[in-house]
Amino acid sequence: MNKALYAAASGMAAQQQNLEVISENLSNADVAGFKGAAATFAEIASPDGGTLGTVQTGTQTLFAQGKLMHSEGPFDLAIDGPGFFAVVDGRGQRAYTRDGEFARGADGSLRNAQGWRLKGVRIPEDALSARVAEDGTVTITTAKGSARCGRIRLTEFPAPEYLRSAGGTLFFETRGSGKARTVEPGTAGGPAIKFGMLEKSNVGIIEAMMQILAAQRAYEANAKGVQAADEMMRIADNLSRG
Amino acid sequence: MPSPSLLFETRTYRDKTSSTAAFYHAPMDGITWAASAMSAARARLDAAAENLANSSVDGFRKTQLRGFLDASGIVMQRLRSASQGPLRHTGRPYDLAIVGAGAFRVRDANGRIVQTRCGSFTRDRFGHLVDGAGRMLLGMRGPVRAAGGAIERIPLPRGSTVRTGFLEGSNADAIGEMIDVLTAQRSFETAQKVLSAIDQTRERATTQVAQMK
Repeated sequence: MNKALYAAASGMAAQQQNLEVISENLSNADVAGFKGAAATFAEIASPDGGTLGTVQTGTQTLFAQGKLMHSEGPFDLAIDGPGFFAVVDGRGQRAYTRDGEFARGADGSLRNAQGWRLKGVRIPEDALSARVAEDGTVTITTAKGSARCGRIRLTEFPAPEYLRSAGGTLFFETRGSGKARTVEPGTAGGPAIKFGMLEKSNVGIIEAMMQILAAQRAYEANAKGVQAADEMMRIADNLSRG
Repeated sequence: MPSPSLLFETRTYRDKTSSTAAFYHAPMDGITWAASAMSAARARLDAAAENLANSSVDGFRKTQLRGFLDASGIVMQRLRSASQGPLRHTGRPYDLAIVGAGAFRVRDANGRIVQTRCGSFTRDRFGHLVDGAGRMLLGMRGPVRAAGGAIERIPLPRGSTVRTGFLEGSNADAIGEMIDVLTAQRSFETAQKVLSAIDQTRERATTQVAQMK
């Protein structure tokens, strides 16, 4: 009976963690460049070939392409295809992101909302407007005419699923992900940079809501299992009292 | 001694619950019978709760019970169901689902080869397909590599197919297992009432019959 109690309790715990992952997806459904994750579960094998319950083994980030949407920002970029923007923080730490919502900083660099700087480009002060081509070339227009001022390159990984997520849209290189590799955007069959667009998150709201419903039902079913195990223990306990 | 007769089977998707009315008089008293029915109900609850807990585990195979009558009461036999789990579209390129019999063979870091029906693989930095626990998928000639157009075959029995971009869910469905939980609870209660009734009868036999004198 205790076996059933613990198995059902492990199911409740797993569904709870599942709900946390889905709610995080849902709450970031409007964040540009956000990648949804899915919790993965495994059975706890018992030595006799049976099972003792379930356990969450981790989460898996899903790097499917999000929809590209036109946007208003002057330096909004989106990646069509695989790859990441390489960004650095003030201490030189590197991170990778698909969130291309950049703004011009005081020093002319392009920075995202968290202040991470996009590598490979600096917009001079006298620039009136800027454009980014599909191959990442940045062209600015000044009073004197137009000029090139840098090129944005993308980064790919042999195994992006193993990047470490810092929550939100930033990812970090790990041993499992393999070495970062710089790729030139805009080549045939490769990724392209879209200027004036943002990549929406790849979380489907309706799909996430359905997942929440399914997880809640599974949670309730496991709670029923706990109740039944408890009730049966009570009956067994009362046997001795007659 | 007569051979054990099948008492009941838990639900299967293939056929209806078969419950053969087996009359088999074992040399046991009622209390022992009721107690054996109680532990059978307990085993049913264990199995249903385990299945329920794993209803979200991809490729999970539920435990089914078969109840037999023999001289020691009800004997519960545990079997792993082989029925097909539902396929779910994920669109991820390295998600594989087997339709039919067979299993994926995966090798862990210690070189131990195990079989699994869970086909949620990702490509690691060397191009190998690995599952959530980091175990490598094995083909006919060794680990499967998804790089450079290398073609590898996953050994499966004749008639089975692999679908890419799909995952096979658990073959335990939460609602069915919940019904099993409730059934187990009710049959436990019934057996307990029978046990108490026998106990009370005996109590009367020992106290009241003695008073009649």
